[in-house]
Amino acid sequence: MNKIKELYQYRQMLVSLVQKDLRGRYKASVLGFLWTFINPLLQLVIYTIVFSMIMRSGIEDFYMFLFVALVPWIFFSSSLVGGSMAIVTGQDLVKKIYFPRIVLPISYVISCFVNMLFSFLVIFAVIFITGFGVNLYALLFLPIVMVIELLLALGISLMTSALTVYFRDLEHILGLVSMMWMYLSPVVYPMEWVPERLLFLFHLNPMSPIIAAYRQILYYKKFPDLSTMASAVVLGLVFVVLGSYIFDKLQKGFVEEM
Amino acid sequence: MKEEFSIEVKDVRKKFKIYYDKGNSLKEKTLFRKRNKYEDHWVLKGIDISIKKGEAVGLIGRNGCGKSTTLKLINRIMYPTSGTIAVHGRVSSLIELGAGFHQDMSGRENIYTNAAIFGMTKDEIDEKIEEIIQFSELGEHIDNPVRTYSSGMYMRLGFSVAINVKADILLIDEILAVGDVSFQKKCFEKLQEIKSNGVTIVLVSHSMGQIEAICDRAIWLEEGEIKEEGKPSIVGTHYNSSMEAERLGKEEKREQKVLEGGFADKSSRIGNGKAIYTKIRLGDETGKGMKTLQMYDKFELYLEYEMLEQVREAVDFRICIIRNDGTQCYGSSTMGEKQERYLGKQGKISFVIDRLDLLPGRYRLDISMKLRDGTILDYIYFAQEFYVKEKKECIGEFGIFSMPHQWE
Repeated sequence: MNKIKELYQYRQMLVSLVQKDLRGRYKASVLGFLWTFINPLLQLVIYTIVFSMIMRSGIEDFYMFLFVALVPWIFFSSSLVGGSMAIVTGQDLVKKIYFPRIVLPISYVISCFVNMLFSFLVIFAVIFITGFGVNLYALLFLPIVMVIELLLALGISLMTSALTVYFRDLEHILGLVSMMWMYLSPVVYPMEWVPERLLFLFHLNPMSPIIAAYRQILYYKKFPDLSTMASAVVLGLVFVVLGSYIFDKLQKGFVEEM
Repeated sequence: MKEEFSIEVKDVRKKFKIYYDKGNSLKEKTLFRKRNKYEDHWVLKGIDISIKKGEAVGLIGRNGCGKSTTLKLINRIMYPTSGTIAVHGRVSSLIELGAGFHQDMSGRENIYTNAAIFGMTKDEIDEKIEEIIQFSELGEHIDNPVRTYSSGMYMRLGFSVAINVKADILLIDEILAVGDVSFQKKCFEKLQEIKSNGVTIVLVSHSMGQIEAICDRAIWLEEGEIKEEGKPSIVGTHYNSSMEAERLGKEEKREQKVLEGGFADKSSRIGNGKAIYTKIRLGDETGKGMKTLQMYDKFELYLEYEMLEQVREAVDFRICIIRNDGTQCYGSSTMGEKQERYLGKQGKISFVIDRLDLLPGRYRLDISMKLRDGTILDYIYFAQEFYVKEKKECIGEFGIFSMPHQWE
């Protein structure tokens, strides 16, 4: 309880770190903030060319099928990989001054989250331009799904950012893990294509129901499955609690390890 | 606040692992287990300190006695190995000024980020910002990027933010040396004001003067334990006299070595004294008088040293021959010749020139031991004086060295 109160006290630090991150990310580049939009768009173009022209998937409006899953996935994987370095890159600060260390991974994940929100502007622009259309009632579930994903990404980043301090290889290992994880999640293909005997993997994967829910809302324009949503909320909370517990245990040795 | 104490430190011990060669990756952790060997080093060996609300306490002690570690533990930058620390109230620290300053952002923007790191909210900062800017004396520079600031301006800004944080406890580590004299005076007055507002202050300093002026109580730490605590004036006197006694002891030992070592009477030395030359011998002669060497003879210099405190880095041995008119004639150094030499507890060094080509005259020798970064361990000017006697065949030559030559 005290920890939460303290975190609330440091909210301004959180805000200023997120601002600094978003502003600093593309600071010296010519296109600047536009990269936030260009990045997912280019990825979309590549995947669309591959899967609707070369390896034909036969899925109708494949670009949209992919786009609504890819953007959330990019958010998750960048939190997973980049978030693991949150403490290590902030070590100058950590060594010098006291603040709740948990602010660093949280602010990183939030800035990735804000980036995803910007990408969603592109999604809605595409939906609008192509006349793909939306189901407004289903859309009400979108913020909920986003928050669930945020909780999950946060919980995992709390663990990885603390572990990376003690074990630097983790950053590189996570790069590989994130690649494998993407292909083990229904990002570029629908859940229905997964063979029966591999299905258990997808049920273990907390990202499967989240990706599926995004697609349900935006691509199929239907309500997401409520019981899976409920279990995803629980799972997200479990990850956050577990993540903060591990983080709290490990943070005491940060300064001496770096 | 109801608590009588704002800081309670109970039986705190702190251990550091000193790695011989540290690796943090999987490869290094598994393959080179041996490299992960470490020594335990106890910096604090059971400390109890209770500080009342509104009290100002000064920590003194020599380098490495654990006073900065204590401050970091109270600040929760590190955690004790055993024992407990209870801190009641909001802590601000003047330990690292300007933490998290962003070079490209203006002073004003940096006030916001820096103050946010201290846990201030936007409203609180808005309220204080004018006061902070005014205190920093930066005037219109406040809207320029921080990278254009001089180091003094930088420190002043950092100090102004940290000292204006509304805190119940203020931790200060050796930084009252900020800016010019008038700014220092202002900082000092501000500290007095903060103190009279009931803020608890913990100050680490080498300067007894500062501690006596601000603190109600002084705590003297030695080798991780509390040696004495009480009124600053009394503890300070004891501390100073102990330091003085030790310094004299060291000096005496060094002087003694000079007398015994056969160095010239005119010799003088500087350096941190962690290692010192103890003996000099030129040729086979010993004794303190002027040495006479024959031109074209062998030049043999034998030196002995003693390491008084552990020096782990590579050491550069250097000699220089200087004529009595001040001309540097010749010099050589081990590091210059890419030799990695490390000190033992005691050791001998010799320097030999097969044929001494120096022209007749009076010369002196300077010898030194330095670290790569320029730190002087020992430097003896006029370690030895010698006279080079002429050879018949080179009468009439002038300059510094005799060189093989023909006239036709």
